[in-house]
Amino acid sequence: MTDPLVEPVRDALRVVIDPELGENIVDLGFVYDIAVADGAVRITMTATTPGCPATSFLKEGAQTAASTVPGVVSVDVRMTFEPAWTPDLIVPAVRTSLGFAAVN
Amino acid sequence: MIGGSISRWTMTYFAAALTWLLAVLTLMIVGIGHPATDLAAPDTLVLVHVVCIGWLSLAMCGALFQFVPVLVARPLFSERWALPALALLTAGLVSLLAGFMALGGRLPSAPWLLPLGAVLLVTGFSLVVVDLGLTAWQRPTGPARFVLVGLASLCATVVFGTVFAFALAGWAGRIGEVVLARGIPLHAIAGLGGWLTLTAMGVSYRLLAMFMLAPDVEDRQSRLTLVAGALAVAMIVGGGAAAIGFGAGLNTVLAIAALLGLVCATLYGRDLASIFRTRKRHHLELNMRMALLSFASLAGTGLLGVALVSTATLPMHVGALAFLAVFGWLSGLVLAKLYKIVAFLTWLETYGPVMGRAPTPRVQDLVAERRATKWFATYYVSVWMGTLALLAKEPDAFRMAAVAMTVGVVGIVHEIVRIRRLEDVASPLRLPAGAVAPHLLFAKT
Repeated sequence: MTDPLVEPVRDALRVVIDPELGENIVDLGFVYDIAVADGAVRITMTATTPGCPATSFLKEGAQTAASTVPGVVSVDVRMTFEPAWTPDLIVPAVRTSLGFAAVN
Repeated sequence: MIGGSISRWTMTYFAAALTWLLAVLTLMIVGIGHPATDLAAPDTLVLVHVVCIGWLSLAMCGALFQFVPVLVARPLFSERWALPALALLTAGLVSLLAGFMALGGRLPSAPWLLPLGAVLLVTGFSLVVVDLGLTAWQRPTGPARFVLVGLASLCATVVFGTVFAFALAGWAGRIGEVVLARGIPLHAIAGLGGWLTLTAMGVSYRLLAMFMLAPDVEDRQSRLTLVAGALAVAMIVGGGAAAIGFGAGLNTVLAIAALLGLVCATLYGRDLASIFRTRKRHHLELNMRMALLSFASLAGTGLLGVALVSTATLPMHVGALAFLAVFGWLSGLVLAKLYKIVAFLTWLETYGPVMGRAPTPRVQDLVAERRATKWFATYYVSVWMGTLALLAKEPDAFRMAAVAMTVGVVGIVHEIVRIRRLEDVASPLRLPAGAVAPHLLFAKT
């Protein structure tokens, strides 16, 4: 059964946006996994480009946002670039609003 | 590396570069160093070195300190070298310009100014080359290879320039005199073609793919483009130096290098087309639309070059060709990308630290594209009119074009200052609790 903290954490992460695309990291599909055990949250997420200075701010932003959720004891954010992010991970409504090409 | 840092001095380089660009425009308006006059005339040397070192090289160095770490996903070898390098380059350029003005009789004779300027510039560029070279060398793939070849070309350009500076002071002996008499085209092409153009191409591959969410151009494909460009530079530097050494003519070397340069530009056009074709973001931001005008200017430079060679009028119009390459292609691309880079870095500096704590604006909320469009349009149209005025040998029309270019550049600089001051960000999001407004001239982080 999914831990009841997962959805509040996911909602809290929506305050973190990708500065370039201007949408939140959850709807952009940057958040690969949220795992919770006894209040300890482990977020696995990605970004568009590994060396970009925005990447570390995204990681710290996710850490901060998740920490604000009541009941969260600790947050560990792990950045990964495997699998690499692609625009087909964006939720369809946001993809349309961003004017993206159709993703096959 | 998960996430690079913000280069503290990139904005300082940009500010210095834009100041020199305004100086160049002023010189052209008052008619000092008219691009169509003799390339070796002291006033022309002042103009050319202000534009190539002060404007383009400083802007390029500032951008590279930020973007080479992004290209290779590794930290910069030494952030601490960037500011001393800028101070040395500025002092070297001022000394060099004073030396040229003394040559032209605008200042009292002081032959030591040129060698002093050369030594300061060599030291400054050495810091840049070692810092960026060691960074790029850690992962020399795709665009980073372009930067490495660009840095090698910069070294060749600086070596030629140093020999010239010592020869003009009468300190380089007979060999120096011979190199000075025949080597100026090699110095100019290694600088404009090798250092500035190949580096701009390399950075553009990554920036365009990143901002338009296009897949990176395959290494195998971009390598062909780079090989053509690198061979052109090698032919100019190696072949040209050998021709001078053996007392042979330079025409064959120049013809082969020009052909290779055209192949490089054509392959680059093919690479750009594939980036634009495969992009996921359909809407093009202003910086990208304006970059397209600079790519068109590069294509125009190639076509104009072919036309001038085939009509045997190149020597008469080399100033117009160089003007279009410098202001249409290189300066246009740098201005378009500055507009984006300043907004992006300003966003990171101001809003990065408060992410997750408060709602933040988008990068696009820092800019006013509609207002900026007219300044860019003014700039490009006046560059193209200026090129036509030079071809038609109409100095008054050229000065009018230079005035219009200045209006465009002042407008763009004003937009960049507004970005830095967050003046176009709506007030509820402008400075969330904990955010600190950026300094105009350097990054606080």
